[in-house]
Amino acid sequence: MTMAGIVTSRHLLLWLLFGAAMLALPQFVSNGTIRIIIFANFLAIFAMSWDFLSGKTGYVSFGHPFLIGIGAYASAILSYRFHVPLEFSIPLAVLATLVGGTLFFLPALRIKGTYFALVTLAFMELMYQLIQVVRPDLTGGTRGMSGIKTVLTGAAPNFYLSFMLMFVIAFSLWLLSRTRLGTALDAIAMNEEAVSGSGLSTTRLKLFAFMVSATVAGIGGAFYVHYLGSIAPRALFDINFVFTIIVSALIGGASTIVGPMIGAFFMTFLLEYLRPVLPGSERYFVYGMIALVLYVYKPKGILAILADLRDGMRAQGTGRAQRGKAS
Amino acid sequence: MLRIEELYAYYGMAQSLHGVSLSLAEGDIAGIIGPNGAGKSTLMDAIMGLVRTQGSIKLDGHEIRGLSPADLVKSGIGYAPERAHLFPYMSVRDNLLVGAYTARADIERNLELVHDLFPVLRERWAQETATQSGGERQMVSLGRALMTSPRILLVDEPTIGLAPRICSAIAEALLRLNRETGLTILIAEQNVNFAMELARHVHVLETGRIAVEGPAQQLRSDPELAKAYFGH
Repeated sequence: MTMAGIVTSRHLLLWLLFGAAMLALPQFVSNGTIRIIIFANFLAIFAMSWDFLSGKTGYVSFGHPFLIGIGAYASAILSYRFHVPLEFSIPLAVLATLVGGTLFFLPALRIKGTYFALVTLAFMELMYQLIQVVRPDLTGGTRGMSGIKTVLTGAAPNFYLSFMLMFVIAFSLWLLSRTRLGTALDAIAMNEEAVSGSGLSTTRLKLFAFMVSATVAGIGGAFYVHYLGSIAPRALFDINFVFTIIVSALIGGASTIVGPMIGAFFMTFLLEYLRPVLPGSERYFVYGMIALVLYVYKPKGILAILADLRDGMRAQGTGRAQRGKAS
Repeated sequence: MLRIEELYAYYGMAQSLHGVSLSLAEGDIAGIIGPNGAGKSTLMDAIMGLVRTQGSIKLDGHEIRGLSPADLVKSGIGYAPERAHLFPYMSVRDNLLVGAYTARADIERNLELVHDLFPVLRERWAQETATQSGGERQMVSLGRALMTSPRILLVDEPTIGLAPRICSAIAEALLRLNRETGLTILIAEQNVNFAMELARHVHVLETGRIAVEGPAQQLRSDPELAKAYFGH
């Protein structure tokens, strides 16, 4: 699988510009805004993780917090209860997500459509119930845990850490999705039988997509808990959290990796700016309405709107140049 | 090369094939004809391991029934299913490259062959297949099957819904493939004239059973058979 021909210098320039602009951001915005962006970075990681499995293969997971939760709880328990240093607890937590997630999700990948979605939703609910009653001395039960070690302190250092994580994950997934493997995953969502009839093992492809997705969810979950310094089952295994992840991916542009990143920033800022006006969960009604309108008029999301704008500007530029030549 | 013996196929509890037997020699073109619901597509799907079967399917003397579709493609069977079954929001290029997954070493050679057979695909390289005409989509479907470097090509209803001019182009491409590369071809068709024009050997399928079989020329020249099955 080569990268030749799939990544142009224009692509790399855009990624570099995006990275440089984001790294310069703390110089120009307040700490409050920086903290919002940190949440956006984590939401982007979760949305991209969801997108790599569900956006690409069409297997819509409603249980992503199940994976995020394994990563978050595993690292929190290891570091808080057993005093394992973070440089070990985080990789171990990612491994636990991969193993635990594969044990549960792999059999589920044999079923399709609504059934897969419902089974994954059941996993999340199961995890929510179990975490409160099984070994509450380790998990903290319904109250969860607080005072968990953080990786860094302060808004700016946490911004740089979360952004670098998000950036590396986004770039890696974007590269991966531009290979033949990524194309084959996209094909599964469109016609799984035809992929199979073309000689590809869809089981292996789905397993690969799942493992990548679980790894990213595990990384995100582990770092998220060590940013927050606390964890509670009610906040993590919440249906609103699932919908925020899914809507971020869909609103940005599913199956594109970049789209979910844009969607996550849009969603985080939207929910934050709505907070003073609508402090309760009514905010979710507003984003639901926005998502609905967007799906009706632009089902491919914000990324497609941006692409249309770019094409429109190019067409205008070409038209102007032709008129100039004619005159 | 391909030998099917006493093949039964099932969709859930419903039985669709009832003891079908046929054989296909290397370099041959064979046709499966019959009305709607006769079991033509089921036979193709059965060979490709897409439905539950009983019986025997042998390729070069080796039993292949029960292999996964991926393994069947690797063993040399290419499949262009009914109504193309493309990836609609992907370009022609990506549709073809999904087919090339198992034959990566032959990509350049196979692409050249596909472009040579269907020059229009070279021009439509970046176009999403959802926006293509039915004929072009059928060409992409055949192209994708050829990208797997098959030794036997299964083609299911390649002319369905297509204009006569496009049908001729597809017939010409299949004949060229057989003539120039020696590719063995099995075509399931409702369009009897199309199948009879291409196939040297024809099997008439009726309600999941082979009703008549024989060399195409012989079947065509038998007035009773011609009247019963070929409408003339």
